[in-house]
Amino acid sequence: MTTGKPRMSWAARLARNALLWLIPVWAAWALLTPFYNRFLITASENLLHITESPNATRIIPSGRHDALVTRRDLPPSKNLAHSFRVTDVHFHLVLLGALFLAVPGVPWRRRLENLGWAVLVAVFFDLFLCFFVVKAAYATKLGSWSLAHYGPFARNAYGLTRHLLDLPFKLGLPLLLWAAFYLERLLEEVRIKR
Amino acid sequence: MARKRSSDPVSPTPVPSDPEAPFWRKNRRELTFLLAFVVLLGGSFTLISLNWVNDHVIEPFTGGVARVSGATLDLLGQDVRMQGTIIRSGKFAVNIRNGCNGVEAMLIFLAAVLAFPAPWRARLLGLAIGAVAIQAVNLVRVVALFLTGAYFPSWFDASHTVVWQTVVILFSVLLWILWANRLAAPREPLVG
Repeated sequence: MTTGKPRMSWAARLARNALLWLIPVWAAWALLTPFYNRFLITASENLLHITESPNATRIIPSGRHDALVTRRDLPPSKNLAHSFRVTDVHFHLVLLGALFLAVPGVPWRRRLENLGWAVLVAVFFDLFLCFFVVKAAYATKLGSWSLAHYGPFARNAYGLTRHLLDLPFKLGLPLLLWAAFYLERLLEEVRIKR
Repeated sequence: MARKRSSDPVSPTPVPSDPEAPFWRKNRRELTFLLAFVVLLGGSFTLISLNWVNDHVIEPFTGGVARVSGATLDLLGQDVRMQGTIIRSGKFAVNIRNGCNGVEAMLIFLAAVLAFPAPWRARLLGLAIGAVAIQAVNLVRVVALFLTGAYFPSWFDASHTVVWQTVVILFSVLLWILWANRLAAPREPLVG
């Protein structure tokens, strides 16, 4: 059937498949985003409560994509009006889904199994990112309250952790997880080419 | 034995040479890559977050990205004016800041290329081609975002963060996979 037609390389098929998967994965992600945002808000609030006594943090959903962070122990006049876009925390899931579904030559069951594990890791990552977004806001954005409750080391540590999680590791996570599952396969393809 | 495995296109993971070997030894190449990738990625982003590096390297680079984007929009008949890193027209204005300059995608690509077992010549070639290609895609992103803001303003926010960031990062990941597949050859035997 395909005689005479040069077969695309494994990597080229992967790239083509990833582009083809991008739209359906995007659609699924957009559909599930409101529910996932609710989950992240509730779960990260509970995670923050583990580090607080008494529980002071309230994270309130604001529209479809945003969350408003407040503290019960602050007077209303000094209330923290820090908001963040929860949807921005987890858009790397689109990339993750497209990359994991695109790998050619791997049985579907195995692909979905690997994707499931990768999504599980990404969910924990998103949860910790939300945690550090709020903690960094407490440590650096509340003026005198931040200075009174967080030392210079804590302020820098929370700020840097948030920066690293929010940019390089959020954006690099799909590649990192893909490599964890499929690097051997990529190396095998490189070896065949040799 | 290795030849037989490599010719099987549906074998996702080759059988390790020694099934009794401990996990870290069986997965040494993967673990080395993952560790190197994380260290290089974290290190490079920490480096560019230093004030001196930001002021002397990243900001001038971002200014260059803004000027090239402005010139491209001018060529497309947008009649834009530049104010530092701000591109402004009668319809819309956009400020090119860190995050819009393609540096994140370049650093992810750089970390992946350097962490992958390949000769230095292939790595340097990959980095040179990758940097140019990622900046070309980033230029398309900035121009497309400006046009989106000017003509479809309600779509700008989603395009800015979700759509184009995904596209640029996906491009750099696929570029790395294609580079590894085409140009990189391992420094050591992969089997045994």
